[in-house]
Amino acid sequence: MVPKRFTVRERTNSRTVEVDANGQVTVDGSDRRLAVTGLDGAEYEVSDGLRRCRVFVAGPPDAREVFIDGRAFRFEVTSTDHRRLKRSAAHADAMTAPMPGTVVKVLVEPGQQVRRGDILIKLEAMKMELPVRAPHDGSVKAIHCREGDLVQAGMRLLDLS
Amino acid sequence: MNRMAIRRLLIANRGEIAVRIIRACREMGIESVAVYSDVDAEAPHARLADIAVPIGPAPALESYLAIGRLIDAAKSTACDAVHPGYGFLAENSAFAAACRDAGVTFVGPPPALIDLMGSKTAARDAARAAGLPVVPGATPPDQSNAAIERTARQVGCPVLLKAAAGGGGKGMRLVSDANGLDEAIDAARREAQSAFGDGTLYIERAIERPRHVEIQVFGGAHGQAVHLFERDCSVQRRHQKVIEESPSPALTPALRARMGDAAASLVRSVGYRNAGTIEFLLEGAGDEARFYFLEMNTRLQVEHPVTEAVTGVDLVRAQLLEAAGEMLPWTQAQLTLRGHAIECRVYAEDPAAGFMPQAGRLLCYREPAMPGIRIDSGVAQGGEVSVYYDPLLAKLVASGETRAVAIDRTIAALRDFAILGIRTNIPFLLDVLADSRFRDGDIHTRFLDEEAGRLVETSRALPPPDEAFAAAVALVAGPGTRDQGPGTKDLPRDPWATLNGWRN
Repeated sequence: MVPKRFTVRERTNSRTVEVDANGQVTVDGSDRRLAVTGLDGAEYEVSDGLRRCRVFVAGPPDAREVFIDGRAFRFEVTSTDHRRLKRSAAHADAMTAPMPGTVVKVLVEPGQQVRRGDILIKLEAMKMELPVRAPHDGSVKAIHCREGDLVQAGMRLLDLS
Repeated sequence: MNRMAIRRLLIANRGEIAVRIIRACREMGIESVAVYSDVDAEAPHARLADIAVPIGPAPALESYLAIGRLIDAAKSTACDAVHPGYGFLAENSAFAAACRDAGVTFVGPPPALIDLMGSKTAARDAARAAGLPVVPGATPPDQSNAAIERTARQVGCPVLLKAAAGGGGKGMRLVSDANGLDEAIDAARREAQSAFGDGTLYIERAIERPRHVEIQVFGGAHGQAVHLFERDCSVQRRHQKVIEESPSPALTPALRARMGDAAASLVRSVGYRNAGTIEFLLEGAGDEARFYFLEMNTRLQVEHPVTEAVTGVDLVRAQLLEAAGEMLPWTQAQLTLRGHAIECRVYAEDPAAGFMPQAGRLLCYREPAMPGIRIDSGVAQGGEVSVYYDPLLAKLVASGETRAVAIDRTIAALRDFAILGIRTNIPFLLDVLADSRFRDGDIHTRFLDEEAGRLVETSRALPPPDEAFAAAVALVAGPGTRDQGPGTKDLPRDPWATLNGWRN
């Protein structure tokens, strides 16, 4: 599971809140990892592994209300991942290796027009050949690998506009 | 002896006080009849009563203030008594008379006493006749500037010049020393003339920075007259009480005894019946402090639980017994004051927006439960707070052996009083309780009006803790968070709810 990022705003106070694959929450990249556990109804427990506190949460993301220790706040929660995805779609898509393997064939050249579904690169992993296909029509911006390269999962193979 | 048991009681009110009275009925084996307006059909008071009768549309004039409809409801349900609560018709002598004429016992004083004590001048005269100090003042028969000045010097500066014909602060002038009198007299007279068509001025000693200290009293059908000590209600915002406590930090035992005796003597001298409160302005502190009769409230007060907490009595039960013609359950000698109690009024209002009343659905409403805490409330989670009535949600009463303990308990309980969906004054109450002047008991009736702005700004300057930011994303987490909180079902669907869960 991929980490999720949110922008959480209360009046002039804005924080980036990240939820990692294990459900641990960090606020503005702080070292404190917080676990949020749902209890009963609107009640949650927030713990940094040592200190815990009770909070109450209700309302939609654009008017999310939180009661904590006698104070009540109204937040606006937006997903930054969501926005980034939208933004990147308009620009270049980085095609990455879905799993570790060897680049056995590069079938395109920079500037080449491709159609959705065309095979761009062939990887070989665990004795299987794995085609990397174009997710949409476009042109090849840059190629970041050569035939014979060993690549790790997530490594950038080529950019498609 | 006019003795008659009450078997079925109509409660001509709503909210927390209606709930409070219904509970007393249940304890005493009296059937309770609630009335409710269209917007209150699901309200706690309507659901809790043995019988609930619709009374009309939401506007109070057509429901909770409609005397004819209330009398009809009492008759159609064969009630033998009516409790008016506080507010609405509690101090309306026409309502008390209508109950009497319908053969229904009104739980409170007879109509003539409501009228007597409801008139400021008549009440003041009655208080003076009973030997109570009133704020020194006079209406000089000769209204020339020179005669008014003479009166002002006799009364003693600072003085208030008031329009004899009216109230509401119109034509009122505060004069701190005799030099500015001439000018102020002319201005006050002009204002009085234009506002009331009568330029006659009343000259009164100005009590600067007074405390509001009131004495709970009770009069019995058999000539009993007792007082149940004081409540200090100096923490008020624009004449609306916010925090009340007993005993008053300003009273010495000797002063308490003098004020209590004075209040009881007024009860005796007018033949007052049932529960009442005599309000005083207190100038100074300690044995030297002076108190002045202000007015009398001929009903049960919002803040009555404070007295119940420090005396151990049940005032509503006593009201019902007295109305049924029984002896008061206590003599003066049996009444003692023990420990300390503080009441905070939890209002649906936004301190950050000029204390604007708030309306809306209570997405979360969780009352604290801990030692020494009593909550009287008339709302429930998922319920709607409407714009039609008083924004009081609940009264939190903390008691302990000392004032410091009661304050600590109040703070702990308010921190645990989770309300979401509408803004409340809970953060503001916490700021007041933490203020050193409140802690020291060094307050007067203008305290909040002078300090509220500073208190609100100080706490608003603090950003939310990281835990609050972390919790804010809790609901966007997805399948793990199976619960969006009660009362949120009708809200627009959470667009993030389909993201994968991360709850552990």
